[in-house]
Amino acid sequence: MKENILVIEDNEQNLYLVKFILEKNGYQVHVATDGQAGIEAANQLKPDLILLDIQLPVMDGYAVAQNLRANPSTAKIPIVAVTSHAMVGDRDKALSSGCNGYIEKPINPETFMSEVELHLIKK
Amino acid sequence: MQVLALIAGVALLTSLAGSFILKRQVNARTRELWQINQEMEQRIIERTAQLEEARMKAESADRLKSAFLATMSHELRTPLNSIIGFTGILLQKLGGPLNEEQAKQLGMVYNSARHLLDLINDVLDISKIEAGQLNVISEPFDLRESIERVMKSSQPLADKKGIEFSSTVAPEIGAITGDRRRVEQILLNLISNAIKFTEQGYVRLQGEVRGDDIVIDVKDTGIGIRQEDMGLLFTAFQQIESGITRKYDGTGLGLSICKKLSHLLGGEIRVESEWGKGSTFSLILKKEG
Repeated sequence: MKENILVIEDNEQNLYLVKFILEKNGYQVHVATDGQAGIEAANQLKPDLILLDIQLPVMDGYAVAQNLRANPSTAKIPIVAVTSHAMVGDRDKALSSGCNGYIEKPINPETFMSEVELHLIKK
Repeated sequence: MQVLALIAGVALLTSLAGSFILKRQVNARTRELWQINQEMEQRIIERTAQLEEARMKAESADRLKSAFLATMSHELRTPLNSIIGFTGILLQKLGGPLNEEQAKQLGMVYNSARHLLDLINDVLDISKIEAGQLNVISEPFDLRESIERVMKSSQPLADKKGIEFSSTVAPEIGAITGDRRRVEQILLNLISNAIKFTEQGYVRLQGEVRGDDIVIDVKDTGIGIRQEDMGLLFTAFQQIESGITRKYDGTGLGLSICKKLSHLLGGEIRVESEWGKGSTFSLILKKEG
């Protein structure tokens, strides 16, 4: 069975890009385009992994990660932050908000899947 | 006799009158000088205040510039994500088959986009360093592993140029305390520079412990650096002219960043070079970081 990956990302092109790569690699992809919608989708779908943008409308990625970690039904889903924030402390901030990993944008198409799969619990 | 006394008397009177006039003149000059002095002091006070104001303006402009560069760099990464991502997946043929010419041209787009990303990252680093916002972390890491990692990722560059590329690391080099990512960034930069400027011969990395220092030499048999160009070497946005045209790509920021980073890490970068023969760049780190 295909693993489900939820992508929370508001930039249309980046969303298309990530969705395309994941689908080509055989994953079932679900999308949400703002933080609140992302939390709802995560609760409803219980995906195997969440790719989370940090700069999001309504609620930023840090808050989304904290919310998902605080909720027992989503607390164990691996979250990987994907963000073009490259400022001091961003990585730490993402990890301390509850993300398991951190991928910097622009993504490296050659290593992106292995970076994602590092955090995916295979079925 | 009387005549002589009369002459002497007149001379005395004249000189007395003369000295009286002189004294008045001196007093007047002294007052004038005192006044000039007061004016000078006042002007110095005013001028100092003006300079202080100018300095503060310059500093705040500098901070604004750094903040602007940091924001711009961040904003530029989002569209670049699209360009690098999509050309990358097309080149991986995830979107379907490509003919040779299409693959070649997409490869050029991809390389240019990566180059642009390097530039943006370098500008971001420089602006962070200059704004005092770049904090290096201090944690234990294995320097030997870091050297192996940068050697491995630089190997394709050396293979492309067909030059010998090797490393020897002294057995005492192992775990140190510092910022792994930044140490690797410096080494990657020194190695890629060495490869870039070497057409034949070798690039060799040598790591050893000298007293309290860990010294990592990156030695090449490249074009070398003229003595008169040594001073420009670590200046931002300066790439030394190697001929009539600018033959080598680069941001001209690499060494400037390396030098500043090495200082933040409590170390330094040294260079020895002979024009036409080659260069040795050394990263020196404290054994006890």
